[in-house]
Amino acid sequence: MNNVNTAILDSDTGWLILAGFSVIWIWLGWFWGRKARQLDDFMLAGRNVGMALGVATAMATWVTSNTTMAAPQLALQLGIWGMLGYSLGSVGLMLFAPLAKRIHTLMPTGYTSGDFIRLRYGITAWRVFLVISLFYGIGWLISLGMAGGVLIHALTGIDYRLGMSIILAICVTYTLLGGLRAVIGTDFIQTIIILVGIVALAWLAIDKVGFEAMHASVLEERPELLNLLMPAAIMFLFNNLLFGVGEIFHSNVWWSRAFAFRQGVGFKAYLVAGIFWMPIPIVAGFVALATPALGLNIPAADMVGPMVAAKLLGVGGAILVFIVVFSALASSLDSLLAATSDLVLQDIYRGHLRPGASKEQLRKVARWVILLLGIVTWLLCLPRMTTLAALLHFTGAFVASTIWPIVAGLYLRKASSNGATLAMLSGTIMGLWSYFAIGFYVAALVSAVVSMLVVLIYMAIRPDDFEWKSLNEAVEEKSS
Amino acid sequence: MIVSSGFLSVMVMLALLITVAAPIVLIVLWFMDWKKGRLW
Repeated sequence: MNNVNTAILDSDTGWLILAGFSVIWIWLGWFWGRKARQLDDFMLAGRNVGMALGVATAMATWVTSNTTMAAPQLALQLGIWGMLGYSLGSVGLMLFAPLAKRIHTLMPTGYTSGDFIRLRYGITAWRVFLVISLFYGIGWLISLGMAGGVLIHALTGIDYRLGMSIILAICVTYTLLGGLRAVIGTDFIQTIIILVGIVALAWLAIDKVGFEAMHASVLEERPELLNLLMPAAIMFLFNNLLFGVGEIFHSNVWWSRAFAFRQGVGFKAYLVAGIFWMPIPIVAGFVALATPALGLNIPAADMVGPMVAAKLLGVGGAILVFIVVFSALASSLDSLLAATSDLVLQDIYRGHLRPGASKEQLRKVARWVILLLGIVTWLLCLPRMTTLAALLHFTGAFVASTIWPIVAGLYLRKASSNGATLAMLSGTIMGLWSYFAIGFYVAALVSAVVSMLVVLIYMAIRPDDFEWKSLNEAVEEKSS
Repeated sequence: MIVSSGFLSVMVMLALLITVAAPIVLIVLWFMDWKKGRLW
């Protein structure tokens, strides 16, 4: 992307927008975080989040820069199925709805997804899970940090390192000041901005180009994009579906929200968020089909969205896209920072280094963990090690291996510790093998299938008989 | 199996309709939670 000039805004305007939003998000982080003195207030927004903020935070976190930038790119490369396949990412959110309810019921005082694996499967499975989860969390953080730098550079010409440093610094600062409350509060505003922005852009494309002209020109120049039987796109669809489910089921980003939502909110919030998320890749993506009709020459496929916007709306369109992309980046980056730092704090610091740490001590350490995580991410983002897409596909092999151990662990007494550990290890190994031997588009699929088989076989030959009340640490502490 | 422009327009308009409804529903839910003091 660096090799071609794709800047649709001048850097002065870029700086102005960055400065304006930095002030707003940081002030809001401070404002919402000033009363968060207890650990539960900071880590889990007081465990009392209502429906509106619950739906918005699930939506905003799942709308990343990938959704807003890669949806048009996929439409340009894989056509109709590219958009539809991407929109199936919402299935993970909807399937997580009953899990969120179950998690809240079984673990009303839980903090992280690591807590669940530790209490349900024991130390070995917990450590394997932590490696997978932290690898994924840090991988996603790096990919988002890099995406921030790359996109800011591509849209405004601002240097990659400067752009990346600024977006990371903003997100670290307001997450550090306000914890999950700041993350969820800003997510609500960011969701509204993203939705209004992509609707405005889609409406303009329909108004200025129209479906007939769009269809006719694509049919003439790239008819395969309108073909419902495009094989590569169908493979993408299934892999993307499983990857999304794996990402959501295991990641502490979604578990921390299940713990943070008020009683009775989790199921409805995730279901509604999934329904509202589903059309976003279609609305954001179909504008790419206007490129032949607009006579646009696209130098880099991942810049198709902004370039169509700039062509349709001029400077206004470019500013709109920049704000939408910036909001999408921040809404995911802050959530991931908060959730990964919770995992480091609860499962590494408290779980391994300071088992006797009090909640007050943990509250103090929480901010340092966020800062440390921000610095580590920044350092790893500096050299731009790999492409965003490659890194994310690579993690698919890891996360898909956790789907069945988590689902079986939440619902089936028979699911055993050894079965879960082996399922995660063998699923990851086979997923990685298929990634290199076959291709990225089968890594998650192979990993999930192998993991499922191991969990099922172990349940059949060595069944456990788990006591559900062992998951509620508050009850366990009282009785012991 | 090439889709028609009619199929394309119905698919996109349906998606657009839900996406337009989303911020409206979110703001209504926000006011409902806010009135009951149940935002967070």
